Amino acid sequence: MKLSLLLFILYRKLKRAVRVNRDYRSHIGMVRLKILIKTANGKRGRLFIFDRGTLSTRTGGGHQSDAALVWSDASTGFRVMASGSDEESFRAAAEGKLRVEGMAYYIQWFTDGIKLVMK
Amino acid sequence: MADIKAGHLVAKYLKEVEKIDTVFGISGGHIESMLDGFTEYSIRTIDVRHEQAAAMMAHAYSVYTGRPGVCFLTAGPGFTNGLTGIANAYMDNVPLVVLCGRHPLRDDLKGALQEMNQIDMVKPITKWAATCYDARRIPEYMAIAFRNAATGRPGPVFLELPPDILNITIPMESAPMPAKATRNYAVVPADEELTAAADIINNAKQPLFLGGTGVGFSSCSDCLGAFVEKTGIPFMLLNYGRGELPDTHPLSIWDCGNVGLLVTLGQADVIVAAGLRFNWLFMSGDVIPAAAKVVRIDIDPREIDRNRKADAGLVGDIGSVLGRLLPLVEKKDRGEWVRTLRAASYSFIDSELKARLMASDPIHPIRLVAKIQEVVGEDALYVVDGGDTSYFGQVGLFTKQKAGVIGSASGLLGCLGTGIPFGIAAKLARPDTPVVVLNGDGSFGFNSMEFDTMVRHNIPVVVVVNNDCAWGMIKHSQEMSIGGERLQCAELGTRRYDLMVEGLGGHGEFVTKDEEIVPALRRALASGKPACVNVMTDPTVTSPATPLFYQSLKME
Repeated sequence: MKLSLLLFILYRKLKRAVRVNRDYRSHIGMVRLKILIKTANGKRGRLFIFDRGTLSTRTGGGHQSDAALVWSDASTGFRVMASGSDEESFRAAAEGKLRVEGMAYYIQWFTDGIKLVMK
Repeated sequence: MADIKAGHLVAKYLKEVEKIDTVFGISGGHIESMLDGFTEYSIRTIDVRHEQAAAMMAHAYSVYTGRPGVCFLTAGPGFTNGLTGIANAYMDNVPLVVLCGRHPLRDDLKGALQEMNQIDMVKPITKWAATCYDARRIPEYMAIAFRNAATGRPGPVFLELPPDILNITIPMESAPMPAKATRNYAVVPADEELTAAADIINNAKQPLFLGGTGVGFSSCSDCLGAFVEKTGIPFMLLNYGRGELPDTHPLSIWDCGNVGLLVTLGQADVIVAAGLRFNWLFMSGDVIPAAAKVVRIDIDPREIDRNRKADAGLVGDIGSVLGRLLPLVEKKDRGEWVRTLRAASYSFIDSELKARLMASDPIHPIRLVAKIQEVVGEDALYVVDGGDTSYFGQVGLFTKQKAGVIGSASGLLGCLGTGIPFGIAAKLARPDTPVVVLNGDGSFGFNSMEFDTMVRHNIPVVVVVNNDCAWGMIKHSQEMSIGGERLQCAELGTRRYDLMVEGLGGHGEFVTKDEEIVPALRRALASGKPACVNVMTDPTVTSPATPLFYQSLKME
């Protein structure tokens, strides 16, 4: 539940950034990408849809995407994402609690955008 | 004492002093005397179909042999055609000796055939460029050329030889040969920098060693092996350094690919970078964490602090520096760090690893690469040329050979079209080793007439075309920037490059299905001919290199 809430808050922050944050608008540019963050069992998740400068969303973990960040469980996903730490993500990946489906670079692009918004 | 044609002096120097066995070029009236010298002194000539390919082959020949490669160009268009290859060698720091004709000195300013100022054109892309005006000084000029090409940071040199001197006969004793070939002299790092570097390395928790072209030209596999095995530092060898230790070495992280490299870089506390520039591929040093300590080793002191201040800077030949560093570093077991970075990297490339194992329709490029690896194996030389193709080839092919996997278009010039010339040079340098070029269909077009060169000289290279019917990297980049509905100059058609090669006398294969890949590759290798395996692959697939490329040119 906490992960779902975190993803919703993240969406709201990014959505606002699309309107008011010049750096973030520049970052997303005209890219068309679907980024999914979900748990491995697919029960929790959120799809972030970037479409030529706009951002929209869908709840749930069963959507098609260009790249997906897959957490072994919701509590790990919440803990690591809330920490905002690259090192925590690295450790989670090494422990098999996080994996990327699709192209890792798209996830990197997505998280770089989050860092722009959070700084 | 006998007389000698001055053009023959060029060949005599190449053969007797520098022990050059092979040269690359196209014939021309201005350099005829030099060509006859090649015959006189039994130097093998590989006559190509475009001078840029000659320069690229000579460039690659130096990579595969460790000695300066030599190409010859005739005046005018021969010269201008060669410029791309020379520029590529300059950007890649490769020793290349270019011997070039020019219009006669006698006819200066008279509107002579191919009269142009070649020296001023070539100067910005060479380490040294000169015209020889005296036949008796040809050996001296040749020695200067080789010295400049090979010493310090290597690079291309250009020697212009007018017919006024090539086409005259002089007494042999008036042009004595130097007693010794070109040799490199040691440059040694400062003791305090060695101590500082050793302290940094000994105190590292999560170090990473990155080696570049300087490692390859140092031929330092013994020193490098001893260094990484004593320190336990995981490593990745890039550019012409690749293969100095086998890709299969337990500390090599090539199995983690470029994505793994970026993931690992982000967590490393010490980076040892040897003979490697922090250029755009490393976001000019920005990918290295601010808190990480950096030890730089380079033959050129100007590189030590470039794009990132070094915490210790060691100037010198890589092997020589590592040899001095070795007694100062402590033996460490960093198995836990290596296992962690490997496991993390695999999590990030999970889809790519799975795509290698699964048949797909249309064929995924990484699946094609995996099949090439399965058939050809680790005792081969691979050359990879293209955009997305370069990424897939470099992360998916592994060898035990020195310079075993070369991304010929992945240098600073991003010179598409180098794959076939590099493949030819690889086969000439190591004729007993299978050579496979993985070409994008776009890059294939630049030098595919060199199949004629391969047929004439019986050079059986297998070229696999990863055919997505497009300039894939450009196409996918445009999809991200200007939108897929506005693609411009990005698409190519379905073309039977295999039939083109058959028409030139080679072997052709056309592949559209996963199960056809292996038999086609086997037939191509068994044919004993230059071969083209034209494989239709998924045009929707892009590589992580494409968004990186796109982002690097984004200005707002």
